[in-house]
Amino acid sequence: MDKYKIILFLCNWGPHAAFQALQDNRDAIPSEIHMVRIPCTGRISKSLLLKAFEKGADGVILMGCRHGSCHYGTGTETAEKNTEDTRKIIETLGIGKERLKFVTFHPDESDLLLEFLNSFTKEIASYSHTHVTRSKDPEPWVEKSIEEIVSKHDVFACQDCGKCTSACPLALTGKPFSPRAVAAAVISGEVNDESVKNDIWSCLTCGICYDRCPSAVNFPEFIRDVRCYYKNREITGQETHGGFFQSLMRTMTSSDLKPTPWSWLPEEIKTDSNSKVLFFGGCAPYFDIFFREFLGVKTCNILADSLRLLNFFDIQPAILEEERCCGHDLLWSGDRENFTRLGKINADRIHQMGIEEVITSCPECYRTLAYDYPEHGIELNFKVTHLYELLENEINKGAVQFKKINKKLTIQDSCRLNRFENIYDQSRKLINRINPESFTEMQNNGKTSICCGNSAWIGCDSFSKALQVKRLNQAHDTGSDVLVTSCPKCQIHLKCAMEDPFRENELKIETMDLTSIIAKTLRWE
Amino acid sequence: MTNIQDNKKEVVITGFGGQGIVLAGTILGKAAALGDHRESTLVQSYGPESRGGACSAQVVISDTIIFYPYIKTPDVLVCMSQGGYDKYIGDLPDDGILIIDHDLVKAKRKVKEFYSISATRIAEELGRKMMANIIMIGFVTAVTKIISMDAAQDTVVKSVPKGTEEMNLKAFNRGSDYGLSVLKGREKKAEGRTGAVS
Ligand code: SF4
Ligand code: SF4
Ligand code: SF4
Repeated sequence: MDKYKIILFLCNWGPHAAFQALQDNRDAIPSEIHMVRIPCTGRISKSLLLKAFEKGADGVILMGCRHGSCHYGTGTETAEKNTEDTRKIIETLGIGKERLKFVTFHPDESDLLLEFLNSFTKEIASYSHTHVTRSKDPEPWVEKSIEEIVSKHDVFACQDCGKCTSACPLALTGKPFSPRAVAAAVISGEVNDESVKNDIWSCLTCGICYDRCPSAVNFPEFIRDVRCYYKNREITGQETHGGFFQSLMRTMTSSDLKPTPWSWLPEEIKTDSNSKVLFFGGCAPYFDIFFREFLGVKTCNILADSLRLLNFFDIQPAILEEERCCGHDLLWSGDRENFTRLGKINADRIHQMGIEEVITSCPECYRTLAYDYPEHGIELNFKVTHLYELLENEINKGAVQFKKINKKLTIQDSCRLNRFENIYDQSRKLINRINPESFTEMQNNGKTSICCGNSAWIGCDSFSKALQVKRLNQAHDTGSDVLVTSCPKCQIHLKCAMEDPFRENELKIETMDLTSIIAKTLRWE
Repeated sequence: MTNIQDNKKEVVITGFGGQGIVLAGTILGKAAALGDHRESTLVQSYGPESRGGACSAQVVISDTIIFYPYIKTPDVLVCMSQGGYDKYIGDLPDDGILIIDHDLVKAKRKVKEFYSISATRIAEELGRKMMANIIMIGFVTAVTKIISMDAAQDTVVKSVPKGTEEMNLKAFNRGSDYGLSVLKGREKKAEGRTGAVS
């Protein structure tokens, strides 16, 4: 068996002196410990902590200064919170929270430090290795050439009309960015120019341009494929949050890992492991932990309310206990290889359960399962239904009514649902059924709705913020007091913009998922 | 006399001429006889009442031979017009089932089992007002279970004009779906679970 690997992130200040004393005395530091010297534990993000596990660590220690002795003041507190959140996430992920520890030492506590290192090493040995074993494909993954990508999406059909750029929300916020110019640049062989790379990573893949294009150039998918081309050549984009979510998803491609994303499910919700219908939840549990401190989002409520609505209509679905991310963001940030791996695991496990229909409330999961899995050769023996379709169907049967909500509503459309002919207007149908004080559309709505500002955790910058501010202002202009969303990420990204300390009160607006509103107000007649 | 056969059900469907009341009665009776292999009779009243006046179909369904096809005290009264309701409501016993078209009939009398559906409005939604009777049959099938769902659907398809089968089946399903939802809703409410959250 391989030797255990323990990464020790060691703060330069207090504990480093203690560690150095051990080295000076030639004390036997366990050989499993690999020390990385860092300026301050507060700078070790959740992303770095997780990445250590992704790359094969069996244990991780974040070692800093005792409370009150942090050289920079707040490092220790920040590190504590980051460790706490990451522990929860790796627990949900199936790695186990015990494998990550935050500890503090004074410079003169070298004996204690050694004792700790020895006992932690023993503890890790008692857990054995993690199940993070991302298998390497024997064949190196090869992406299409730029010529193939251009011809696949028929980018040559571009008439240079500029309709895409004139509708692109990023261009309209003032970012020097033009889909038309990107298309032209890629065609003329400039794909490796820095400015083109930047643009390719900036696009929100929201698809308004595709909707407008007279030549039907599928720009979002073209962008996605160029990203895959880049990724395949080790050219990476600006991943937000230090690439935390990409790392999370890549880790999930270890097939032996046993994530537990459903452990929080309230008891009153009924599921049935023998059901032929499966509810697919998505990454809400991870989002809620990750953004706990900052945004306080509770996207798990969307899943709970979806299940409550299914129960309401006497559907007790199965859940995939070891559910993994659908892989949407891996694919859209260019990592087709790991996306396909993840998709295969999900599809296999769902097939093993004999499922005939998968229901999901997440727009991205819906698109990915229904459309991108089959596109990537992952055959599905089940049909995929978005929760809205099912609700519309059931509610249409009648005998139900909606309790009045004393709120004025407006709605943020989801880019992913918006591009599906069969369901893009389902959220409208449903919102017209419920019973609010009023419902007012934003200036840009339906198919021309503006994106929430980020997609696939790539390229969040000041223009994304400007875009979000514009969107939130549109929401306020309707005079509504609740911004209804369909996608958990719209809630996350828009809430993030509301945190702007300088315009807080100007931007804040209550957000609520449509599913939750329906769950709270739907009644038998 | 009627109580000799326990499983006997007597249904009166009333409305005005042109609503397809008799066709509704025919479908009910045929489904029972040909689909569910039971006995059934149909008595239709036209007379001076037709041409927009009150009209009715009396359907008796039983497992054994029916000796008398006329109905004095129906088990189920289906009203698709106020006139029909006014005329027959007095015959319905307290433990009878009353079913009405919600938008066309105001039911004043309280009976133990009462159902209503906006059959005509739903038919208009589906684009054909004249399918209200089929929607009503779907609803009656679901809430009373006097005939089986399969037999009812089969008979609807065989009884309507060629080319309209699919449309009528859709209408039937709208009615029966609504009926099943109503039953489910009542059951849930009885258990004290009115909403999805509480
Ligand atoms: S997908 Fe959206 S962000 Fe990207 S170029 Fe098109 S309109 Fe602009
Ligand atoms: S809208 Fe289509 S045809 Fe027009 S410039 Fe953009 S990609 Fe080219
Ligand atoms: S908007 Fe906020 S939450 Fe969303 S990617 Fe950007 S920084 Fe992260």
